[in-house]
Amino acid sequence: MTAIAAAFGNLGPIRRRVIYAYGAAIAIFLVGQVLHPGFAGGDSVRTILLVASFVGLVAAGQTLVILIGGIDLSVPWVLNGAAILLVTTGLGQNGRLPEALALTLGMGLAVGFANGVGVAYVGVPAVVMTLGMNGIMQGLSLGLSQGLTCQACTSYAPPLLQHIELNTVLGIPEQVVLWIAVTIAVTVVLGATAFGRRTYAIGNNPTAAFLAGIRVKRVTVILYMLSGFFSALAGIMLVSYGGQASLGLGDPYLFQSIAAVVIGGASILGGRGTYLGSAAGAITLVALVTLLSAENIPEYGRSIVYGVTILALLLLYGRERRH
Amino acid sequence: MASAEHAVPAPPGVDRGAVWRHVSLQNAPLILSLLILLGTTGLYIVFFNSNTGGLPGSFELTSLANTTLPLIFAALGQTVVVLTRGIDLSVGGMMDLSNSLAAAEMHATLGSELLWSAIIIAIGAAGGLLNGLLVVYARLQPILVTIATLSIFQGLAIAVLPQPGGAIPSAYTSVLTNPNQPTSLAYVAFVMLAWVAFRRSSFGIATFAVGNDQDAARARGIAVDRTKVLVYTLSGMLAAIAGLFLAASATAGDATTGDVYILQSIAAVVLGGISFAGGRGSGVGAVAGAFTLTLLVNVLFFAGINPLYQQFYQGLFLITAIVLGAGIARLGRVGRIGR
Repeated sequence: MTAIAAAFGNLGPIRRRVIYAYGAAIAIFLVGQVLHPGFAGGDSVRTILLVASFVGLVAAGQTLVILIGGIDLSVPWVLNGAAILLVTTGLGQNGRLPEALALTLGMGLAVGFANGVGVAYVGVPAVVMTLGMNGIMQGLSLGLSQGLTCQACTSYAPPLLQHIELNTVLGIPEQVVLWIAVTIAVTVVLGATAFGRRTYAIGNNPTAAFLAGIRVKRVTVILYMLSGFFSALAGIMLVSYGGQASLGLGDPYLFQSIAAVVIGGASILGGRGTYLGSAAGAITLVALVTLLSAENIPEYGRSIVYGVTILALLLLYGRERRH
Repeated sequence: MASAEHAVPAPPGVDRGAVWRHVSLQNAPLILSLLILLGTTGLYIVFFNSNTGGLPGSFELTSLANTTLPLIFAALGQTVVVLTRGIDLSVGGMMDLSNSLAAAEMHATLGSELLWSAIIIAIGAAGGLLNGLLVVYARLQPILVTIATLSIFQGLAIAVLPQPGGAIPSAYTSVLTNPNQPTSLAYVAFVMLAWVAFRRSSFGIATFAVGNDQDAARARGIAVDRTKVLVYTLSGMLAAIAGLFLAASATAGDATTGDVYILQSIAAVVLGGISFAGGRGSGVGAVAGAFTLTLLVNVLFFAGINPLYQQFYQGLFLITAIVLGAGIARLGRVGRIGR
């Protein structure tokens, strides 16, 4: 009986938190609908999902590394660097698009590889490795693009990539379709593959995972590579959305991605969490910001209400168990 | 616990060398952070000399300390929180708020300067207390609590000072960050002494105990919850003080200048050898880490590095310093086993 209760206690809260996270998102839509009729309507939801897809993509990588007790602080400038790399190699020409995409995503994977090797093989704490890497990427992005004053830096995204959010599949913007595909892929990988099992095992107890024959270092490197990949992908999507690269593009996504992951029910210490939850966290955050903008609240008020709402949501369902 | 203060004289018959090896091993991260500072200082002197033909004097030392003081206070706040296995991302927001309040409200009278310094430090304590209560009694994860309060503090800062500006009384600047008198060095010395006092106080001992093993600390009768709340409160106060020093050296206010100190304070803590696993580290290391970061900026400047690449070298330096440090520490351990 106690064993069953314990098993329920171990399993239950994770799924419950995902449900709560979606509940929070729905609650914000409902509040919005009351204050602004149409907020929960098709157009508005479509826009919010579109904007949430950027946070959502970054949060996919962040979820993977947080699940093993790591963290990726290199998000802002991997994303920003990817945006700059895409426009400077694409030069606004469709013919150059495949090469530009390959280079940009390859850069994300390479940076993630360096992060992973540093963390897993050299033993650098994840905070240090990825914080240092963020600086390295910032310096390289600024230096190589001469502070985004280079001639190629003003290029637009290749036309094929521009405004892909306007193309729809069954009424859903292609960008959101991509995010849904990523959500399904990450959820399946984490929930139904040996790789996913290994990831959770490492997060729960790296030593036990190692003794169970899991190649902890290799899995760690792969997870950081995926995080770099998703940051670069988000950078590409932001350029496609905005048309051009800019400096500081990635800055909001570090804390937002971490917040989305934790609101989605993951533990920052690793071993617990799902990407479905993180996706709900991303939607909640973006819906909240959109609602606050619609309310005509000045910037300082939005910032304060944003913080207070995150706290209020977490007080409702995000509390850790008593010791 | 790892601390130089425990270097008791060896009883007769005990190998003094062994005692010293033990002490140096226990303090390896602190010693490494001081060595990194020494190395960076060496680089700084070399590049300074090749640029100016002279050696850095008291003016350079004073301006170095003036520039570093805000980071020193922010890093010390971060240190006490990290020692309990937490993290405080709201330091940047609290510095914004403190900075803005000082620039908007402080008048050029002694009474106003004292009053507003006290009010701002009290606000820092209140903000930190809020963090601590949410982490301890609401049982929320520190990183998320402080992301949320960061946003709240940033919002309040912009409400207080919507546009950069305001003014800091010149008398205030001359007391806190006087460019002509080495007052800032006195603050650095005071901070180090305060650290030693903290380390020996029951609060300090409780902080380390909580970070080492929370359950064991509780079993030993340490008030774990109260200690954690106090640690966040202290961090908020130190961030507010950091904001005051920042305002004094800038002589005006800006509601966003504190934000860079979030990641900078973490970098200083890392270079100071404070463990993110909690329970290990020294405030002296954090001060050394803060100075290392400022010196590095000067080194890059004198080396004629394109400022656009500054972050690249800082990032590379951070990782290299930690990798080398870990390597040296490993060699030290191997040496001991080999004996």
